[in-house]
Amino acid sequence: MDNADAAALPETDGEERRLIDRSAAGDQEAFRQLVLRHHRLVINVAFRALGEVSLAEDVAQEVFLKVYRALPTYRHDKPFAHWLHRVTSNAVTDFVRRRKPVISLDAFDQLPMASGSDPQDLAARHDLQRAVRDAIAALPSHYRDTISLQVFGELSYDEIAKTLDIPMGTVMSRLNAAKRILREQLGPALQNDEQANTA
Amino acid sequence: MLSHATAREWLIPYADGMLSTDEHGRIEGHVGGCADCRTEVDALRQLNLVLVSLPPAPPLAFAPFWLKLQAALPAPKRASLTRSPRFRRAGIAFAAAAFAVLAGASGAFAAQSALPDNPLYPIKLSEEAVRLSLTPGPERLGVQIQIGSERLREAQAMAATGKPDLAARSVRAFRVLIPSIGPGLERASDQRAAQSQARTLEIELTAVQEANATRGDDDAEVKQLVLTSLGDLEAELHPVPPAVNPDVTTVATPAPQATSRPTPRPTDRPKPKPSDD
Repeated sequence: MDNADAAALPETDGEERRLIDRSAAGDQEAFRQLVLRHHRLVINVAFRALGEVSLAEDVAQEVFLKVYRALPTYRHDKPFAHWLHRVTSNAVTDFVRRRKPVISLDAFDQLPMASGSDPQDLAARHDLQRAVRDAIAALPSHYRDTISLQVFGELSYDEIAKTLDIPMGTVMSRLNAAKRILREQLGPALQNDEQANTA
Repeated sequence: MLSHATAREWLIPYADGMLSTDEHGRIEGHVGGCADCRTEVDALRQLNLVLVSLPPAPPLAFAPFWLKLQAALPAPKRASLTRSPRFRRAGIAFAAAAFAVLAGASGAFAAQSALPDNPLYPIKLSEEAVRLSLTPGPERLGVQIQIGSERLREAQAMAATGKPDLAARSVRAFRVLIPSIGPGLERASDQRAAQSQARTLEIELTAVQEANATRGDDDAEVKQLVLTSLGDLEAELHPVPPAVNPDVTTVATPAPQATSRPTPRPTDRPKPKPSDD
């Protein structure tokens, strides 16, 4: 297995460790610096999973509140970023579970505006992205947790293994199973996308 | 020679580009001669293309995010002076007396998070000045960085609440601290930790810049000050090394920036499992 990307998540450095300890003792300035370092990561993961900025921000707020409350029990035995990914993944799952289906105009405002693409293409792309999110949300939990870290968190196999505390072989077998299910679920949408790309 | 069954178990990491060169070559050798596996790989790549098409979030300002989060946090605990070795060395009694004289028994703690539009703000500045004067030389940089970080937080908050004059004042106060960073780094007892701490200022300043990018002309001065500060800070954190040979005229180039990505570590090769746990 190639580990060229295995170190994309930063290890907890000395300064971060101090920020964590100070935050755990109730120092809000230290916590502000910790949030500043990681809020982009959390918002990106939540946005990829939910597709709306306002929802992603709500989830990110929830994540950092949970982190702040849980910091006194945090141990430095694994990198902070791995723990944060796990908290974020759980928060996204809880949010999706709680959420009632709504049609939000906000989501349509955030369609990626590539130059030269017509509104029909953008709408089709948006539909496909929503289908991907829904299909991932509907996976059995252990498959969903694993592939979410790859797709939403952009983690390597090695990082997923460390974040979930599972062997690399289990990561691979879960991704195998998750992608098989996704291909079945997304089959027609994938074919349409392929035809659109080759047209 | 790989069996067809073994090769199929490795098709997903192969399509994900997660195999070593050697492993990749072995799977590729099989895929080249197996129409079934080629079709499977094409389908997996098509799926991957869709999965990676989920875009990242658009840029978002940090200040409003933090202000909202801060409002929801439990009330801050009072700082414990006895936990800080710095204050122990300086004399707990003396420090406590200085705080009491400056801020009154309770006002000092309320002032710690005061923003420039708060009446307690001057007390906060005085408290910082006392704290800095009590700090021994090798540890002074840490306090200066905390103060600089506080100025940037204030600038963010003031800009976010439509007070560009106060935001500009905080950035100017931040700029005053910049020239002391280079000498402070040289004096620091733990230079690596000090560098890492100082780099957070760069991150925070960039965050201020990003937050201001979408604001109007009222914030033009803040934008300009932030831009100049970024250049000054860059010069302090990454000084240009002196030319090696004085006889040869060369154009000095900035020292390469330390990468935030650590060196990849080799790990044991996993064995794929045919079924999940």
